[in-house]
Amino acid sequence: MNLLFALTAACLFGAGAHLLLSRDLFRVVVGVAIVSQAAVLTLIASAIVRGVAPIHPLPDEPVSDPLSQAMALTAIVIGMAVTALLLVLVLRLTETLRSRTIDDLAEEEVERDERLERRHAWSQESEEASAR
Amino acid sequence: MTALSIAFLLPWVAGVVLVVLDGRRGIVGWLGVAALAGTIASLAVVALSAPAGGTVSFTTGSWPAGVGITIRADPFGLLFAILSLVTLAAAVIHEVLEGVREQEFPGVAVLLGAGLCGLFLTADLFNFYVFFELALAAAYVLSVYGRTPRAIGAGLLFTAVNVVGTFVFLLSVASVYRVTGTLDMVAIGERMAGADPNAAILIAVGFFVAFGVKLGLFPFHFWLPTVYTGSRPAVAAILSGSVANIGAYGLLRFGAGLLPRELELAAGTLVVIGAASIVYGGVLAISRRTASEMLAYSAIGQVGYVLVAIGIGGPAGFAAAIVYTVINALNKTMLFLTTRIRGPLVGAVFVIGALSVAGVPPAAGFIGKLELFGAVHDDPALVVLLIVGALLSLLYAFQIYQYDHWVAPRDDAPARWQPRAVPIVLGAVILGVGLWPEPLLAVSHVAAGVLSGR
Repeated sequence: MNLLFALTAACLFGAGAHLLLSRDLFRVVVGVAIVSQAAVLTLIASAIVRGVAPIHPLPDEPVSDPLSQAMALTAIVIGMAVTALLLVLVLRLTETLRSRTIDDLAEEEVERDERLERRHAWSQESEEASAR
Repeated sequence: MTALSIAFLLPWVAGVVLVVLDGRRGIVGWLGVAALAGTIASLAVVALSAPAGGTVSFTTGSWPAGVGITIRADPFGLLFAILSLVTLAAAVIHEVLEGVREQEFPGVAVLLGAGLCGLFLTADLFNFYVFFELALAAAYVLSVYGRTPRAIGAGLLFTAVNVVGTFVFLLSVASVYRVTGTLDMVAIGERMAGADPNAAILIAVGFFVAFGVKLGLFPFHFWLPTVYTGSRPAVAAILSGSVANIGAYGLLRFGAGLLPRELELAAGTLVVIGAASIVYGGVLAISRRTASEMLAYSAIGQVGYVLVAIGIGGPAGFAAAIVYTVINALNKTMLFLTTRIRGPLVGAVFVIGALSVAGVPPAAGFIGKLELFGAVHDDPALVVLLIVGALLSLLYAFQIYQYDHWVAPRDDAPARWQPRAVPIVLGAVILGVGLWPEPLLAVSHVAAGVLSGR
């Protein structure tokens, strides 16, 4: 059972990491969501014991660990909230840039650097000119 | 205990209320500042009224210890909580004085304060994760503040990278629970000693990656320059001055507090990574032309010093790491706030910051460097490394000073006092800490004592 959980979590993490590295921003978000599922699965697997529901008063037989369930629930909620936030960011960016690939973002960055470089060279030239 | 409860509840309630109000109105911004100031005041009350050991703790909901979530305010956590909230409040005051651009800014900043306050003071591992995620969610929203395409792109990168970092952290949390069967940090520290060494090393690596990403250490730094230069000065100041403290706190608390044997094992690696960070950050900062880019790379270099200090370890090393983190947070907050303002006074403040980054007296950075030299003095290679790092930072900081402040002012816009007030006050604080460092040193040594278990 442990091995099954470990393998599934590893596969999920690998698939998520693969998507994270892609150029399409939407795939990146899906990758984040899948990685979050890998973490949730690991949380559940961190305390697997066969037992009855831990409801007060506790029976004599072994009970299953409620803590890992609680942690998994919290992690699911947080993961969903963060995924929603990421989707909103991608939506904003898609609206402003009219594209959703990382290349366009990078292009924007390069253009900005070039502008900055030109402005700097220009300001230095004008300074030297005024010094003369 | 009342003061501690107030410190937890006040920013929560205030943040939720302020988020729905229009933060562009001055009064809402000042209410946010008041909420943060109230939180800082109640934390100060906790720190001053604490018993001799300096630790105040209680278990939420009056549950028996081990069942409920424990809140434990020890000197180490209190120092980081107060530091992060002070830098956060400084950046928020700066933005309110300049005029807030978006309505959610004050509310989200106060919620970030709630998250920071919680994660520095909790003694429960999963509770730490929840506060960690809360603080980061607020930071994600802040990182797109300004809503230019550049800010949104930077925010997306920041969010994606850090979300993966926190899930790596969560994987380590799950493994800790699996190995030790508890989430209470003190109990974990005790039970970790009997754990399978392989599992413990894997857990330690997970924590290191998670906090390294947060801190922007050398191999995990790739997101940092884009984010720090893409966002507005106030947001960059918040991210580097208060959110980045989580990384240093995490490395110290989890490394020195929970996994001391693994930390000792990895000491050499940590020093090497820290050295790489120092050199990489320094060299790239020299090649940069704008203040914000220089500061972003400088941030990568400066956290390298913290990692070297942690790697050296022992009470001296941990104290040096704490002192350095405190001073670095103040430096970075102040310098990022000055990036878009000019004038003779701002130039003077920038010089104080530059001297502090390089570690030249009388600025506070000298004290940080002095503590570091005290910790590494018997290793000539590290002494050389620190001197090279200091020279690099002197070079890049004054290069930017020359570009930005050593030229005739380009525009004749009337000088406003609002944008200058906070950097000038912070500059005075940095100078003050440099001239009278005893309180900071004493507090840091007490905090380091908590970590090394004395």
